[in-house]
Amino acid sequence: MPELDLQKADERFEVARKASIAYGNEFLIDISPSKQSYPGASEIIISQAFSAPLVNHIRFFTTAAVNQEGRQVSISGWLEKKDPFTQVDLVDSEEDQVQQLIYQIKTSLSIPNRESLANRLVALLNDAKEEEDFVGVGIAADSLRNFYYFFQLYTDLKCPTISLTPDNDIYASWRVESNRLFSVHFSPNGDARFVIFKPNDLHPERQIRIYGTATTDILKKTVETHGVWDWISE
Amino acid sequence: MRGEKIPDQHHIARLCNPKHISEEQIQATAFMLRKNEKSLSVNWTEFLNCSSRRSEIIELQNIYSRELKVAASAIIAVLNVGEVREKVLTESLDRRNLEILHDPQFNDTSHSGIYNLKDDDILIAELILKIVCETYSAHQ
Repeated sequence: MPELDLQKADERFEVARKASIAYGNEFLIDISPSKQSYPGASEIIISQAFSAPLVNHIRFFTTAAVNQEGRQVSISGWLEKKDPFTQVDLVDSEEDQVQQLIYQIKTSLSIPNRESLANRLVALLNDAKEEEDFVGVGIAADSLRNFYYFFQLYTDLKCPTISLTPDNDIYASWRVESNRLFSVHFSPNGDARFVIFKPNDLHPERQIRIYGTATTDILKKTVETHGVWDWISE
Repeated sequence: MRGEKIPDQHHIARLCNPKHISEEQIQATAFMLRKNEKSLSVNWTEFLNCSSRRSEIIELQNIYSRELKVAASAIIAVLNVGEVREKVLTESLDRRNLEILHDPQFNDTSHSGIYNLKDDDILIAELILKIVCETYSAHQ
């Protein structure tokens, strides 16, 4: 099966560009993830409602119609269009959203490990699509958006180990030595389920284990008292 | 026999797909349930009645390739039943008592399941990951 190629130009790009000229040249404004419901708040440590979107408006560039045939996919060939109404058909599928989000990660200058993250996500997308019982888009778009949002909020993060849950949500782990772990399940509903393993300084034979759920925007505040940020940021 | 408890000294094998593997290392997601899944599928290695671990793995590779599409980078994780139950019982926040039961299928008679998991048990998945005792390629 052909794999995703972030560099490869979409041969049909030219056709889509001609069509876009006819409809104008305006950005589609996306305010994700604030458009998701944030029932908000951590279950265990902090109870704080999500109050306002923390991300400024993000410009979503449309992609040329993406070739889905034979699963050959390209996310190159982005262009701007003016009339949001006319591009709904280009961005409404979850597959398109996943490709857009990976492209945005790859091109976000604020994300230090953008290249590695994007390459890993593409590999996972292909892995998921190769599964026997594959249904859907490979990576849950809302989970990926939540993950992207987290990396936009915190630009000093080390590159995590990324895998997919059985339901194709993003799961990121930062392991330091053998006794420190911070893992986050980026849920499609905006929650971040996390687990922390860290040494118990008073009882070296024991380990402290913490589990909780918080919205992504307050995740740092929720876990920083446990020293997590010292070992997952640069 | 369906529902038979697998003895603590015995072992189970879990097929880990590439999306649960990073740089040849199994990740905790390999031990998580899908939504609405009742148990985590494993195979009871001693039930295969082979003479060695090597032959058990070959038999599992045969079963998987017959029944499933096995990726080249897929890995078989082997765990000790008693260690899994003890680790989760003593270290999970709710002292979870996992049950590991035989659940034979028509073409996979050693098929078994880990029960009493929930689909958001990321801490338990991380605990199970810590006690994987052996890994093998799942591909023949």
